[in-house]
Amino acid sequence: MRERLEALCDAGLAAAAVAESVAQLAEVESSYLGRTGALTAQLKELGKLDAAERPAIGKLANEIKQQLQSSFEARRVVLKRQQLDADLASVGVDSSLPGPTVELGSVHPVMAIARELEEIFQSMGFVVWDGPELESEANNFDALNIPSDHPARESHDTIWMKSAPGEDRRCLRTHTSPVQVRALREFGAPLRVIAPGRVFRQEVQDATHEHTFHQMEGLVVGKDIGVPHMLHAMNSMLEGVFKRKLETRLRPGFFPFVEPGFELDARCPFCKDGCKVCKGSTWIELMPGGLVHPNVLTAAGVDPEVYSGFAFGLGLSRMAMLRYGIHDIRYMCSGDLRFLNQFQA
Amino acid sequence: MKISLNWVGDFVDISDKSAEEISALLSMHTAEVEGIEYSGANIAGVVVAEVLTCEQHPDADKLSVTTLNYGAEETVQVVCGAPNVRVGLKVALAPVGCVLPGDFKIKKAKLRGQLSQGMICSDSEIELSDASEGIKELPADAPIGARLIDYLELSDAILELDNKSLTHRPDLWGHYGFARELSAILKRPLKEYPSEFEWPAEASEYTLQLDDQQQTSCYQLTELSVGGGPQVSPEWMQQRLLAVGQCVVNDIVDVSNYVMLELGQPTHAFDKDKVSGKQISVRRATAEEGFVTLDETECTLMASDMVIADADKSIALAGVMGGANSEVDDTTTSILLESASFDATSVRRTALHHNLRSEASSRFEKSLDPNYTLSASQRVCQLLCEMRDDVKVDSAPVFAGSADVASERLTINVANVRTLLGIDISDQDIDQNLTALGFEVEANGDDMQVLVPSFRATKDIQSAVDLVEEVGRIAGYDKIVPQPLCAPIEVPKQLDYRRLASKLLMRLVNNHQAHETQSYSFIPDAWAKLQGLSCDDFIQIANPVNDAVSLMRQNPALSLLSQVPVNQREFPSGRLCEFTKGYAEDDENGEAIESRILAMLIWGPSDLPKSGQQSLVGQLRSVAADLTGLLNINAQYQVNPDDLQSRFGFAHPKQCLALSFARQSLGIISRVHPAVVSALGVDNSDVAVLLLDVDALVDAQAKTKFKFSSPPTFPAVKVDVALALPTGVDYAAAHNAVSAAAGKLLDQIELFDVYSGPGLKDGQHSMAFTVLLRASDRTLGDKEEQSFIQKVSKAAEQLGGNLRS
Repeated sequence: MRERLEALCDAGLAAAAVAESVAQLAEVESSYLGRTGALTAQLKELGKLDAAERPAIGKLANEIKQQLQSSFEARRVVLKRQQLDADLASVGVDSSLPGPTVELGSVHPVMAIARELEEIFQSMGFVVWDGPELESEANNFDALNIPSDHPARESHDTIWMKSAPGEDRRCLRTHTSPVQVRALREFGAPLRVIAPGRVFRQEVQDATHEHTFHQMEGLVVGKDIGVPHMLHAMNSMLEGVFKRKLETRLRPGFFPFVEPGFELDARCPFCKDGCKVCKGSTWIELMPGGLVHPNVLTAAGVDPEVYSGFAFGLGLSRMAMLRYGIHDIRYMCSGDLRFLNQFQA
Repeated sequence: MKISLNWVGDFVDISDKSAEEISALLSMHTAEVEGIEYSGANIAGVVVAEVLTCEQHPDADKLSVTTLNYGAEETVQVVCGAPNVRVGLKVALAPVGCVLPGDFKIKKAKLRGQLSQGMICSDSEIELSDASEGIKELPADAPIGARLIDYLELSDAILELDNKSLTHRPDLWGHYGFARELSAILKRPLKEYPSEFEWPAEASEYTLQLDDQQQTSCYQLTELSVGGGPQVSPEWMQQRLLAVGQCVVNDIVDVSNYVMLELGQPTHAFDKDKVSGKQISVRRATAEEGFVTLDETECTLMASDMVIADADKSIALAGVMGGANSEVDDTTTSILLESASFDATSVRRTALHHNLRSEASSRFEKSLDPNYTLSASQRVCQLLCEMRDDVKVDSAPVFAGSADVASERLTINVANVRTLLGIDISDQDIDQNLTALGFEVEANGDDMQVLVPSFRATKDIQSAVDLVEEVGRIAGYDKIVPQPLCAPIEVPKQLDYRRLASKLLMRLVNNHQAHETQSYSFIPDAWAKLQGLSCDDFIQIANPVNDAVSLMRQNPALSLLSQVPVNQREFPSGRLCEFTKGYAEDDENGEAIESRILAMLIWGPSDLPKSGQQSLVGQLRSVAADLTGLLNINAQYQVNPDDLQSRFGFAHPKQCLALSFARQSLGIISRVHPAVVSALGVDNSDVAVLLLDVDALVDAQAKTKFKFSSPPTFPAVKVDVALALPTGVDYAAAHNAVSAAAGKLLDQIELFDVYSGPGLKDGQHSMAFTVLLRASDRTLGDKEEQSFIQKVSKAAEQLGGNLRS
């Protein structure tokens, strides 16, 4: 009996090892452990054994049954995996095929820059303020220390609305600077404010001239504010935009509403030793700015003996052109989807 | 404006500085230099040579065959066509390999069979003059082999200044002003302006009459005899004028231009014989008076133009241009030299109106120092008399008006200067910087009393802060050390409409495939009629960029529509959006109303369904529902409201919706009328537009309160009902009927099918809804479901239809 059982065990283990499919293995398993299986038959004969032999042979038979069961199970896992691998390998798939098209919207490049700058300035504690596009001559010019006979007021520079004789003249604001005065009248000093918005000039359109474009005015007023504060704030802002420090420099510039007035240049962020954008100079003229003219503070109801401040004007359309390498400003108001859909939110 | 560094060098020593250094100094301290030109560089290869032999060309009458010594080991043979070529003459030779202006490279050539190894140059070929006859004749002592530019001192650097950066500086419209700047920047002495001239004692027989001293602060007239008439100017003067882009005419005109370019003050010479009478007046023109300028422009003058007039006619447009009737010409033997100070605005308006911007007018526009008039007369007379023996000043000049400038004494506080600039500059340096620029400084404790020189007092220096700039820019802005601002920690106030508009706009872009655009605020006049309006219904532009586009739009619908044609070929459908403005007159207080509008325009093929989810209006309704949902606003929709077309002339009569909340209008959705669509050049497409009033949305959102409700405890019952209804009964009516039938138990209702066809009577359509019924306090039973179905059935009958089983 013992020999027969051990022979059965060896034969069963061998059969399991050569079974080549799950089905074949099932047959082998059934032929040993099934109701009519060889081991089952042996187990049934255990009862016929002597009482003395029974416990030892019974124990052995059970051990052999368990050994066979675990061997069949182990073999089944292997065969199933082989089967799965074979199935996977046999299916023809083209994983290079695209998925369903997702239509994307897009943001306008100028607005993208504007929103980004708004976020940066808000994070630095600036109020974002606004003013009307149809502006009074008083706010657009007088309050900004622009002399009454200044050429900018002429019809070849400024777009004027029709007005009845004697009526105060109204124009499309030529810059966002009137918001300096509006914001100061609203909030008083001290104040940190930016004012992005649409501005208008009498321009013949070409690749670099548009009658409708965007600016962002900035104004900081407080006690003992000077040029070093302006320079620091501008450097911080540029670091926010370009995600790294850029060298800057101030040059003299003239604007009636600031004194002293500056042009702020930054090291060209696009090259090391001169490129098309910086015209080989490695400097880019970024924005005009300066210390707020006392006459502007006075016009806005702020005492220039107590307060001083700085103002700056960012050309948003120009910045968008610089950042994205847009060579023709006329695309900006074209609505051409082939232009617009390149700028993702 | 162009400045020659050689010329500037007359007044301040800059000989040790390169053009690049000077350019950088001026850009950083004064005004923007846009470029540097090196004059002489284009004729650098031309050398001095001597003609050794000169023979008639064997096969050409007008050519000579010459041999020349130009300092090389061997002589060269050159064929020359000039009549003045002769043995012994010193000439300017361009040898083989030399490149002349116009990229003209000299090569070895054969002319009518004779070898020619170079070219003997004329003045015009080497750009020393506009025109010339024959080859250039050099003095006999010219050193053979020397570079012509070295021998004639032609090597110069010309800086091109950005005129815009000079508009506020009347003192920088001549070379002397730049010399003063450089003397201050480099801390080097400035030579005095050379205007010494001793006037004769004789009194002039002329008198002057200034009608309006506001317009002409002073006027000086000098009589000169010019003997042999106008001559060619000396070479050095021609070179300087040409180098800075001034054309050369004759010595009288050239000297006047030379002084203008040197000092900034224009002068004008009249032919004395062409001037009648002995009184010169400066007066306003007679309206409609005809006048011909010396460049032969015929003008019809305005009464506001200032003219210079003799006894019977106008002889010049003041500060702009002289008249042809008194022009200096070859026969001129005596001149009247005008040096005057005219009003900046008046000159600008006259020049602009007659389209006659001249070098003179562009300078007078800057508010020149009236004292320049005196220096300029003297300098012109000095130069003319130095250059020619036959020029004589006949009498002492006559002068009218006053050259006084109201020069204020300004006070600056040195501590304040240091604070504002952030430069640690000593009192002494402040004093030195200002003094070098011509200011007179008197220290007084912590203050300085500063007297502004007349050439800075007419315009740009008006207050103490102007002096802060002068101190700072001469000291150098590169000395400023950035310093952080100390400010209170506060949440900055923001504008609700901006925040809300950006949120909605980003939603349109990110969830609704919209492309954000920018469209113009003005619209063509023709669009008024398209919308059933007249131009008077709009705010109108007095001086539009384009005459036919003079209206300020009331809303952006058509502006966006006008952007469709460019896209149609490649995009059969598309979505544009913009947060922008509409403009209208407020009848009550006469101020403009600028409405803030979030607009979205969509277009698609014209065979889309006209109603339902696929339709353009349906699509926009989904968008609007999403946007208002985002703001928790439960917007109401009114279908085809009566007044919508009168408010929005582009609206479709049967496919428009008005959105509102608590009876306040929030905006509209409308298909654009097909007539308007095709009028704007859009073909085979339908277009619809959503306009949302952003301020109204802000108000509505403020009125909306978020209310939390616990997730339901009891399950809902789902019931599908289909109603067969007359086609005249729309979705809104069916929806309302089913909702009413559900009453308080209504949890959700959704349309899932619209059908017409077999199984329905003619003139009927079917609408099927899935309804969720739920109670908060119990599980609903069959009884309640049946009761709901009965109510729907009754409602369907009331609408003229029935419940489909």
